Amino acid sequence: MLLLTVSTYAVGKLGYGGTTAVLLLLLTAVIKGIFIIRDFMELKGVSLLWRIIMYGWLWTVCIVIAVSYIVTV
Amino acid sequence: MTTTTFENEPKLLPGDLAIWFFIFMELLVFAIFFIIYSIKRIQNVELFNEYQLTLNSEIGALNTIVLITSSYFVIRAVHAIKLDDVKACIKWHYFAIGGGFVFLILKSTEYYSKFSQGINLDTNDFYFFYLSLTMFHSLHVILGMIILFAVIFKAKRGTYSAKNHVGIESGASYWHMVDLVWIILFPLVYIIR
Repeated sequence: MLLLTVSTYAVGKLGYGGTTAVLLLLLTAVIKGIFIIRDFMELKGVSLLWRIIMYGWLWTVCIVIAVSYIVTV
Repeated sequence: MTTTTFENEPKLLPGDLAIWFFIFMELLVFAIFFIIYSIKRIQNVELFNEYQLTLNSEIGALNTIVLITSSYFVIRAVHAIKLDDVKACIKWHYFAIGGGFVFLILKSTEYYSKFSQGINLDTNDFYFFYLSLTMFHSLHVILGMIILFAVIFKAKRGTYSAKNHVGIESGASYWHMVDLVWIILFPLVYIIR
């Protein structure tokens, strides 16, 4: 988690932009979000409905952000 | 009389169901906020790109590390109460709240820097979203700290144990939600361009 955070910061500091950078950064956010939902919130093994809601939120937000950035590249 | 247990039965949501409805509502509000930010950015990419560079990404990254660490402390607190170690549970909650204070102090230095330059919600669209999004998130950090304090108060009164710690799990779930939102907010506002 900490390494992923440092990598996100590094991408920003090095000034990377464009589609690849956007997708990489959002994928990093998704991975960190999965760790939080599955391990921190302990939702691993709970009913499918709750997991769909939480992971659905995470993926929906990140996909919408990705699309909004890619259309401007 | 025998009871049958099904090994594949899904486990219950940690904490109270009411807190999860609250969490879902908060996540929905933040999702709408993030999407509106993204749409607004489409309308003025150059402005958003230009003023994003004025943000302190070092503090943003540091705050991400602070919140992740604080969430880890909350995990330790939940683990402690499952072992019936109330003292350790309280201790880890104090550490988690400490993380919250560090987050708010770092955020305050950011705001001080911006406000002293005359930047406010009316300056431009980017700063409006930067300030309102991060302030809205900070309010949730404060609320999370209040919830954790309430958990400590009840733990000291002997309310919680290995057999009964729904309140602790509820507080933990809310705190992790605050962390989850920041995981998206930091790259969205500070980094992605």
